[in-house]
Amino acid sequence: MADTSQHAMEHGGESRRDFLKILTVASGAVGAGAVIWPFIDALGPDANGTAAAHLIVNVAGIPENSAITVTWNGLPIYIRKLTAQQIADTKAVVTSTLVDPASFNSRVKPGYDSFVVVVGLNTGSPCALEGNAPADPRGPFDGWLSPCDGSVYDPLGRVRGGPSTKNLVIPRFKFINDAQIQFG
Amino acid sequence: MSTDVKKSWQATRLPCPAKETGSCTPTLERGAPYLARLPALITGAALLLLASGFVLAVYYNPDHGFASIQFIARNVNSGWLIQGFHTTGATMLFAAVYLLLFRDIYRRAYTAPGELVWLLRVKLFALLLLVGWLGYALSDGAVAYWSLTDAANAATGLGGVAGVIGRWFFGGPNGAGTLARLEVFHAVLALAVLGALGAHRCATRALARQAKPKHPVSCHPYYTAQTFAAFTVFALIFAVLMFFAPHYGLNPLNRAAADSLIIPAVLSPPWYLAPVSAVASVFSTTLGSIFGVIAMLAVLAALPWLDRSSPTGKRGLVYRLLMGLLLLDVIGLGWSVSDPACTISGGLTVFFTIWYFFHFLVLTPLVTALEAK
Repeated sequence: MADTSQHAMEHGGESRRDFLKILTVASGAVGAGAVIWPFIDALGPDANGTAAAHLIVNVAGIPENSAITVTWNGLPIYIRKLTAQQIADTKAVVTSTLVDPASFNSRVKPGYDSFVVVVGLNTGSPCALEGNAPADPRGPFDGWLSPCDGSVYDPLGRVRGGPSTKNLVIPRFKFINDAQIQFG
Repeated sequence: MSTDVKKSWQATRLPCPAKETGSCTPTLERGAPYLARLPALITGAALLLLASGFVLAVYYNPDHGFASIQFIARNVNSGWLIQGFHTTGATMLFAAVYLLLFRDIYRRAYTAPGELVWLLRVKLFALLLLVGWLGYALSDGAVAYWSLTDAANAATGLGGVAGVIGRWFFGGPNGAGTLARLEVFHAVLALAVLGALGAHRCATRALARQAKPKHPVSCHPYYTAQTFAAFTVFALIFAVLMFFAPHYGLNPLNRAAADSLIIPAVLSPPWYLAPVSAVASVFSTTLGSIFGVIAMLAVLAALPWLDRSSPTGKRGLVYRLLMGLLLLDVIGLGWSVSDPACTISGGLTVFFTIWYFFHFLVLTPLVTALEAK
């Protein structure tokens, strides 16, 4: 590159060859990127997959003291509307006495105290929980009961008895308005 | 640990092939034409086909081949583009291979010591024809479905060893599972194409080392720069075809879904399979068609021995003229099966097939021997 730099110095700046080199490499890089991008893009989720991963559920119609089941990412999700009594009862529990301590506020979204959203699978031996309908067996804490190993959960999904030692998992979700929640 | 020590540590445990001579030392003849870069372009196109084929294989469903291709084109992100890479990539790859073979025939590059390179090129062509047909069958359109059904019925109906191979390959008549196995064969043979390209590269390198150049230059930067320039033109043609003529040379009826009760009016294959398809259609029996295709490739492979001229002999005008006729003959073969509305096309196919074999088996030895005198 000795002659190039000499040439460049003579003209007091970048030579024509340097400019062409930069131009060629730059357009080559853009071209290579444009060819590679579709390969990356094509293996990502399509619009249907993205929509399913960001499921929107209407929660306005859920009656108090009962829960609905939706499937999201292959998991049964329980969305439960608490009664005023259940809210008061679960708030009154001293958190440190629990098997897996979790405060009331950590189990609900701020401003939406009455909605509990959990993955409806027992955290010990995986098994769909009972207790969504008011008539279902719910255990002594008016929450959920595992028909497989007898683990007991309260209405916030905190484990209160039985072999299981972990609270129910809370999926990723947010309230997009008062009536709808969006997962993912 | 210094770099040298690390290098020898690795070199003793993973002894990679010695650095190719010719990349930095001046061993190559100056002034090779741009068309001499065709093998590099073919390798590039093959790699693009492999990469796009991997993505297509993720979404392709052999139980619903046609519908899954529609899904790829419509629902998969950039799926239309990946499919375009694959379709147009096949067209560009075959165009480059046809050009390479014809250029070799014209230049008589197959003469000693280039016989092995020539044989590997014919082998590459034969493999690509098979892979190309399998890919065409996987498209599962109305025309491809009938091509596959006819082939499977013919192959499974054969007797003897041919029938055993046919039944093994197709697993019975075209039905559930046929496309699944063809998908696997398509992918495995595509990897075999890469193997053939690798062997071809070794052979061409060895050939280049044997030649004693008068004005030697090093591969880099002289021929890397030329390769990049050739690649740019290749990519430009590729892009124009893909974006402005994505179905160039393909039967439009194949864009419709297959129906087992409706045979399309025009059953022509993609352009790159057409000359071979024409020779196969001349014969009335299945074994005859198979023989015809094998003979078509065999006379190509035998060319170094059919050419009776000495390596340093004169290149006469008559033989050059015959080259032009051969080119027209192969184009005519392809054309004659793509237009059945023409009533004389069947007769023309027979004529072009006879001329093809006449050229290689009679004219080539005769004319080259006469001109060498």
